[in-house]
Amino acid sequence: MSEKLPPGFQHPVIQNAFGHLAAGRLDRREFIRIAALLGASAASAYALVGLPAPAYSEGQLPFPPDDPKAKPGGVLKVAMQVQKLEDPATFSWVQMSNQSRHTLEYVAITGPDNITRPMLAESWAASPDLKTWTFSIRKGVMWHTGEELTADHIAWNVMRWADPAVASSNVGLSVVAGLLEDTGKKDDKGKPIMGLSKGAVEVVDKYTLRLNMNRPVLSAPEDLYNYPTAILHPSFKPPLSENMIGTGPFALAEFNVGDKCILKRVTKTKDGKDFKYWGGTVYLDEIAYYNFDGDNQLSAFASGDVHTLYDFTVEQLDLAKSLPGVINASRTAQNICCRMQVDHAPFTDKRVRQAIVMSVDNAKVKNLVYGDDGDVGEDHHVAPVHPDYGPLPPLKRDVEGAKKLLKEAGFENGLQVTIDVGNTDGPWHQTACEAMRDQMKEAGIDLRVNVMPAAKYWEIWDKTPFGCTAWTHRPLGTMVMSLGYRTGVPWNESHYANPAFDKALDAAEATLDVAARKDKLAAAAKILQDDAVMVMPIWRPVYTIVAQNVNGYQGHPTEYHQFNKIWLS
Amino acid sequence: MLKLLGTRLLQMILIMGIISLILFAIFDSEKFKKQIAVNELGGFAVSALSDQDYQVWLEKKGLNVPFYQRYLNWAGGVARGDFGKSFEKNEPVGSLLAARLLHTGLLAFWVFALMIPLSLTFGIIAGMKEGSAQDRLTSFVAVVTTSLPEIATAIILTVVFALGLHWLPPNAAMVNGWEWQALVLPVLTLVLYDFGYVARMTRASMAEVMHSQYIRTAVLKGLPYRRVILRHALRNALIAPFTIIVLQLNWLLSGVVVVEVFFQYAGFGKLLLDAALYGDIYVIQAATLVAVFVAVLSQIISDVGYTFLNPRIRFA
Repeated sequence: MSEKLPPGFQHPVIQNAFGHLAAGRLDRREFIRIAALLGASAASAYALVGLPAPAYSEGQLPFPPDDPKAKPGGVLKVAMQVQKLEDPATFSWVQMSNQSRHTLEYVAITGPDNITRPMLAESWAASPDLKTWTFSIRKGVMWHTGEELTADHIAWNVMRWADPAVASSNVGLSVVAGLLEDTGKKDDKGKPIMGLSKGAVEVVDKYTLRLNMNRPVLSAPEDLYNYPTAILHPSFKPPLSENMIGTGPFALAEFNVGDKCILKRVTKTKDGKDFKYWGGTVYLDEIAYYNFDGDNQLSAFASGDVHTLYDFTVEQLDLAKSLPGVINASRTAQNICCRMQVDHAPFTDKRVRQAIVMSVDNAKVKNLVYGDDGDVGEDHHVAPVHPDYGPLPPLKRDVEGAKKLLKEAGFENGLQVTIDVGNTDGPWHQTACEAMRDQMKEAGIDLRVNVMPAAKYWEIWDKTPFGCTAWTHRPLGTMVMSLGYRTGVPWNESHYANPAFDKALDAAEATLDVAARKDKLAAAAKILQDDAVMVMPIWRPVYTIVAQNVNGYQGHPTEYHQFNKIWLS
Repeated sequence: MLKLLGTRLLQMILIMGIISLILFAIFDSEKFKKQIAVNELGGFAVSALSDQDYQVWLEKKGLNVPFYQRYLNWAGGVARGDFGKSFEKNEPVGSLLAARLLHTGLLAFWVFALMIPLSLTFGIIAGMKEGSAQDRLTSFVAVVTTSLPEIATAIILTVVFALGLHWLPPNAAMVNGWEWQALVLPVLTLVLYDFGYVARMTRASMAEVMHSQYIRTAVLKGLPYRRVILRHALRNALIAPFTIIVLQLNWLLSGVVVVEVFFQYAGFGKLLLDAALYGDIYVIQAATLVAVFVAVLSQIISDVGYTFLNPRIRFA
């Protein structure tokens, strides 16, 4: 098989994937994604499998090509919550990263086509066992200070993410977790304190960085575009809003939390020299984020105050359709996870959990809330949009079965439970839970829907016995399953602990064969599904709308803004 | 009069002291410190923090200092005009509050400028002749506008005038700079809500005065009706509405949250809501001091105004 592949496609995992592609066990888009992750050129991968490549710059730039019709200049106005900018490593909302995304750039960039391309890195290569990743840092990238970006700067960022004192959520990413080892010390809760392994981050030369991991990681470049992995200048001191030195084409000009965030083109370095942006032509003069709460963003668009917005909810879709603009709907792995804590009565009894899950028809809930859009959940946490998703037998609602299980569990006269709902992504959470309530009633379950403010919900999201938590999109199923359901991990909100599940997930993560990996992850998902930990009814789409005079806009499943090639007519 | 002012000021300082102490005590609890952490780092990140790292974070934010020390530091700062720094907005609270008060002040000005003449005029006309057509019409309109919650009025007005007729902008965020049109819908929403209440009170007061003996006497003496109303009835009839109107100052300061949030108007009410949701203690404290100040000020205005409207009232 290997002789069929051109140079750049020689990694054993690419060859293995190509074999699966030829045998029809892997689709072409998934092959392109894997090839690009392992350092092959995305354009060549598209050509190899015979798919038309989306327009990208010729050469090494990870942006769409220049548009000959483009008019430079103008201010792109965006309605979004303007949030505090403290420290990118601890960003907790995508909005924060959008405010800094055109100033602080990333090692890699995942495009709207879900393909990851080199950004501040020029290229990368992975060892055959996927434990060693070597990044060639792009030459000629200039900081706003006038200095050149080097491998040392990237290494400083990676080591900072691993520092427990920074409290970065990046430690949950495979690329960082793979660099850590048990220090032998315990914290006050008795949990092992993890530290960077010796030699884990290795600066080979000025433009080469090597990450030596203690386990195979396939998603390293994808992880390096996760929103809290923005690359900071080593002089950084929080708050970011007062010290934002980046490599991007824009710099923060005006900033007020809850009001506005104005980014203007950088033309001079801090010491007065001409600033040359490495990423080619950028058309806009200014990007202006104006603070609008979620419910008000569409009215701001309707009034013509802004060209686009962060997102709007499904309840506003009809209004959006009546407005002059182009609606973008991105298929995502964002969801609501109505999970039960397995160590909290009555959910300690698996039969109770099973009865709750069996009494709900996910497809009906999804259709009620999102109509034809979105995907139906399967009561585990791998979405059809995840490249490592493997289908399981379809779920069937079984009211009689649920009643029988409740009777066996001693609830023959019915069960009353309360679900906490924070509507953290919009009122559709409540709508979905109310639909579930109506369905559960038939099985003798009285579901009380306790609605609370979003901020309040985030205080109790991992404490409430039964809660409706929104999980954002993550590029891989293994990533989110590890974050949320492994025994004892911090974000295990259901307190689920099943050695068989952990083992199945380990097996999936350690499998380099992409088709076998799907099967193994499906096996882990089946264990989770059978243990009835959650009702997961919906994988939701993300909607946004763009004015007709905005050219070059592409929606992104993670709602990351990429405005380098946008222009206004 | 001076004694009254002195007493009121002392009361105000005492209330401010007690309320700020209570608020500080509430916000010193572990729960509220966690709320700030959740808002700053995110719910997911906080649950991943070890106790040790959480303590480091508390220290960085100055939240691990004992309660009494934090309170004294804050009170000393307030005495020097320093209200502390907002956790959420990273700005000095004083300047933040001043800007937002100015915005709400502007809103309040236009609400008063429209609402007072409208509600007094219609209330007086209605009260002059109980049961008349103008009385029934005014009462009906007043009951309808007051019955509708502000949020409903705001939605109706937005749908009709902004999204339907496109006459006015649907929000008051004013991203393109100051525009008077953006203020119309928030002002109208508040005026409609408050108009009914004040007009009804004015009508009741006027009707009561019109039934009194001295008005009957004046009419029987043959004085022109216009003179009876303007010279004799009006002054007494305005005592009750005057108090109500002055008390609307408090409502306009803290009761406009719904309208400011709906229209995205960057005023005091929106600031207060944001601060409450974030657990931004220094902003909440400063906003509370302002609210107490306005409440006491409105009482003083009300008391002093009484002496002018009703010469029988004198303060010893």
